Amino acid sequence: MAPILAFDRVWKQFRRGQAHDSLRDLLPAMARRLVGRGPVESKDNARRFWALRDVTFEVKPGEVLGIIGHNGAGKSTALKLLNRIMDPTGGDVRTRGRIGALIEISAGFHQDLTGRQNIYLQGAIMGMRKVELERKFDEIVAFSGVEDFLDTPVKRYSSGMNARLGFSIAAHLEPDILIIDEVLSVGDAAFQQKAFARIKQMATGGAPVVLVSHQLDRIAELCTKAILLDHGSVRAEGTPDHCIKNYLHGMLGDDVRSLNDRRVRFESIVAPNGHAVESGQDLTVIVTGRADIDLPPEGWTPAFRVRDIRTGADVHSVTGFQRSVPFPKNGPFEYELTVQMNVQPGTYQVQAFIWDALTGQEVVHGSSLLVEVIERMPFYSEVQLNSRWRVRGTDAAGSTSAKPSRAEQEMA
Amino acid sequence: MTQVPELTSTSPTVDQIAPPTAAARRRASLAKIVGELWDSRDLVVQFMLRDIMIRYAQAVMGFAWALVMPLLVVGAGLIFRVVLSTMSNSPIEGVSIASLAAKAVPWAFFSGGLTQATQSLLAHANLIGKVYFPRESIPVASVFSQAPDLVVSLLVALTVVPIVGVSLHATALWVVVLLLLLVVFTIGWALILSCSNLFFRDVKYILQVALNFGVFATPVFFEPQMLGPKGAAIMLALPLSPFIQGMDVAAVRGHSLLEPLVLTSSKGPVTVWSPWMLGYGAVLSIALLVIGLLVFRRASGRFAEMA
Repeated sequence: MAPILAFDRVWKQFRRGQAHDSLRDLLPAMARRLVGRGPVESKDNARRFWALRDVTFEVKPGEVLGIIGHNGAGKSTALKLLNRIMDPTGGDVRTRGRIGALIEISAGFHQDLTGRQNIYLQGAIMGMRKVELERKFDEIVAFSGVEDFLDTPVKRYSSGMNARLGFSIAAHLEPDILIIDEVLSVGDAAFQQKAFARIKQMATGGAPVVLVSHQLDRIAELCTKAILLDHGSVRAEGTPDHCIKNYLHGMLGDDVRSLNDRRVRFESIVAPNGHAVESGQDLTVIVTGRADIDLPPEGWTPAFRVRDIRTGADVHSVTGFQRSVPFPKNGPFEYELTVQMNVQPGTYQVQAFIWDALTGQEVVHGSSLLVEVIERMPFYSEVQLNSRWRVRGTDAAGSTSAKPSRAEQEMA
Repeated sequence: MTQVPELTSTSPTVDQIAPPTAAARRRASLAKIVGELWDSRDLVVQFMLRDIMIRYAQAVMGFAWALVMPLLVVGAGLIFRVVLSTMSNSPIEGVSIASLAAKAVPWAFFSGGLTQATQSLLAHANLIGKVYFPRESIPVASVFSQAPDLVVSLLVALTVVPIVGVSLHATALWVVVLLLLLVVFTIGWALILSCSNLFFRDVKYILQVALNFGVFATPVFFEPQMLGPKGAAIMLALPLSPFIQGMDVAAVRGHSLLEPLVLTSSKGPVTVWSPWMLGYGAVLSIALLVIGLLVFRRASGRFAEMA
């Protein structure tokens, strides 16, 4: 029988605050209710909210569905429902076949047990039989690269070793259905490459796959289709490209809506030299606006941030305060910012805003634009240091230019 | 590259659809639950091994720790008996001490296992919220992890009985049947109490109080014949009594559990064992296990939200 993975008009409601109770509180409450002076239900209803609203999708064998959305959009809830960790409040979650989940891959580790013992424990939690684990044991250990520490308690492992071991166990599941949540960045750069190759191999193995990630480029690379969740509802569905575009569009739209101090307005932001820049090169943006303010409050300063769209994290932010840039006086203003994009290729958001250095808060959100950083001199890890090679003592002796040499290409 | 369609928005329609009101509950047949639990037997074993390794690795005394609980029960029982015998001016017989040692075995297992199991689900709250596996395996494994303690306390009893001058008979083999039933009985309670404790966090305190008083309500310290015919009948009807009284009858008094046993007391003849009690204990154990499994599964869909 072919594996099945489908959501049919699924709703999920949560209650804010603690869900559990004590009998000590329950018994008097029941007594009050009997007497007819019970607590009003509506007070309880106010604490309820819908994490998923009427979500429908189906993933057939061979398809890879990407789920994208802001934090709190309902992505993790959807995965938890798929994985039978929770039940939906309404609708149907249909699954058939053994589900393998690359989620919280070392959640079952016990810190006092050794790596070896934890392989059996975590493997069993993920649904593997002991014979299966014994058969795959050497493979798992080899993949994780913790051979020398197998009989060391896991509490002495580095967090990277922990994650590598957890990933290796999960990666040796042979599931009918695969669910992946944000495990694309495990361990160091070399292991990340290995892990991603493994995930790609598992995801293209013909099983239905659901993938949740903030790394939009990974979604675009791995998925055959996608849905965009927004506050629990499906806002867009279709190709990964279509959903990613909608998602980014939403991110930019949010900024305009949340202007909160009308005395300073940003009017435009442009990149005069183009929206595409090579990694390690300069990017210039010009922001214009208008201030209706005689004496700016003390501490207010213009500011810029550069945000990585894949992770949603700021890679750089800077205030005028730090550069002795004056705050705009009454009338129109224009700021020009040049930054060296020493980052990995990808999509970045550049945003202007007003920062209050005294309270440490953003007081005016400005407009933003998206720039594309293009690959030049590929490298691992985070920061582009424009590294150059000089090779001596071989036939290829001599210096190389900023262009990648053959040795460099081989490294990449 | 496919044509990018217009930005689709479903939010207006969502507001028009009435959200569901009835909460879905998990339902599964008993056969399905038992089948799933059997399929995850390796997981139960792993949880059990982990619990045992952690408990004994952390305790300074190691496995000697397993001696403490049954010895405490025997010790408390002895003090209780000494007080009783001084008040009634009759000496303590060796048989009484042997009885205490035998009856401490099921009691220590039941109270130890239940205390562990009741907190087990809450202790795994983090895991339950993140990974799916049959949740029954947690309380079941925590009952099983009492196995080393059970074996040690049984060995203690088997040493004490001959020391105080009571010879062992072949009927002592009934102990195996009694303890197997007791394990089933304890698992039934463990399933019910562990999930109750997730919904009502004070269940574990209530359990401690109940266990502290329960030792006096079951024939652990008392011998039924002390209470006269009526008192004995009431005491033996209590759910835990078949296992506790059965240990005394089979292992210490050398009496088959298939024959009734009547002792004479100052208040006349008292029935201290009837073969019916064996059936009572068996039916009770299996009924509790079935109820436990069904209740637990029904509630398990909400565990992740409670945890």
